[in-house]
Formats: sequence, C-alpha cells, structure tokens
Amino acid sequence: MKEIIAIVRMNKTGATKKALIESGAAGFTANKVFGRGTLVKDDAKVAVRKQELMSLASEEDKETTELMIDSFVSGASLFPMRLFNIIALDEDVDKIVDAIIKVNKTNYNIGDGKIFVLPIADLVRVRTGESGEAAM
Amino acid sequence: MLLVRAIIRPEKRDEVLYELSSAGFHAATVVDVVGRGKQKGIKVGGIVYDEIPKIMIMMAVRDEDKNDVISVILRVAKTGPSGSFGDGKVFITPIEEAYTVSTGKKGL
Repeated sequence: MKEIIAIVRMNKTGATKKALIESGAAGFTANKVFGRGTLVKDDAKVAVRKQELMSLASEEDKETTELMIDSFVSGASLFPMRLFNIIALDEDVDKIVDAIIKVNKTNYNIGDGKIFVLPIADLVRVRTGESGEAAM
Repeated sequence: MLLVRAIIRPEKRDEVLYELSSAGFHAATVVDVVGRGKQKGIKVGGIVYDEIPKIMIMMAVRDEDKNDVISVILRVAKTGPSGSFGDGKVFITPIEEAYTVSTGKKGL
C-alpha cells in the first residue's frame, strides 16, 4: 500500500478529482495548503510569466501588482495550493501518478505542483475494524 | 528522499521559512493545523485548551540534507535559550518516489 501526496493548483481540483475517478482511486482527502517550490534561477522563465501577468494588471495599480509578483518569485508570499492524500495499491500507483500529471500539466513550465509517493505500514477501516488491503 | 514534517508555533512561520530559504531549502508547503502535545494542552484558569493552533511545514529533502534542514528548524523554532513547551515536533518519513508535474520527471 502507498500514500500518494499530490500538491496541485487550486483551479485544477475539479480536473484532478475527475482523473482520480477515471484511474480507479475515487477516495481521497484534500486540504487547502500554502507553499512554494524550488527557487527558479532561470530569469528568462520568470520574465515571460511576469510579463503575462503584468499585462493583466490595470493601469493604476501596476506598482502593487509588480510588488506582489516579486514577493511570489522571491518566496516571501506562498501560493495557495490543493493537497490530495490518496491511498492506493502498489500496482495502481503509476497509473494514478500519470493521470494526475496529465491533467495538471500547463504550458507555464513552472508551479504545476509535486507528487510524492510514501509507503504505508497499515490501514484500518473504522466501520468494520478490518485492516490491510481488505480495508482499501 | 525524506519527507520532513515540522509542527511549529504559528508566530515562527515566517522566520523559519526565511531561514530555510537562506540555507538553500526553498521549497516548502505550509498547513494550518491544531493539536496538543504531551502536556495535554494548556490549562488557563479552569479551562483546558487542547486544540492549540500550530503550523505544519512539509518539505521533501534529499537524504544527505536531512540533518541540515532539521538543525535549521530546531535552531529557529525554539523559544528561549533552552526551549519551552509547545515549540513543536519534527517528523521524518521516507518518500519512495517524487514527481514534478510541470516536467513529468521523476525526482526532486
């Protein structure tokens, strides 16, 4: 048994839920979390995104927008993200991970999230008290 | 790879994140949690508070960076010279695989 921790964009929650049902892991627990990723050292990558976001800003609060974007780039502000905990059988892990990656990929190249796979020692279903794979 | 889960005081959040970043560990996920420790909460007057708000910082780190990350957290999250009750805990669990969604690549 494995626990899959997937941290994805907030607006990809619906797509992720759908992908989970399609890949056979309907059950999950989700949390709202805040986070930041690896510091992006590639200035060109940041500049492209920054320009895109700045073009959306209204004329009078360009400065505030720029300050805000800079604080996110430097890591002073944290991005709101959705954290999914999914329990899966060993053989299903690859399928679920692929499904999550497929729906969460964007063409921004940064900030799409991370997926971690952790081992689980045991699990118990509260209703019946059964444990192990029977409780899945 | 290891998953470090540090439960710390909410007021230490920014300081710990800043120091971790300065030490080269930038990526982190922050969750608001409530909990109690070995002291069974705090008793103020006749009322027991056992859902004390805390911050949980989750970080995926390389095995060799484990001690550096823990020492930063322990140094910064401590209150007073010898620490005090309620400063928090750090838990370490193994991670078998990690993926980056943007690239689809395996590994940190």
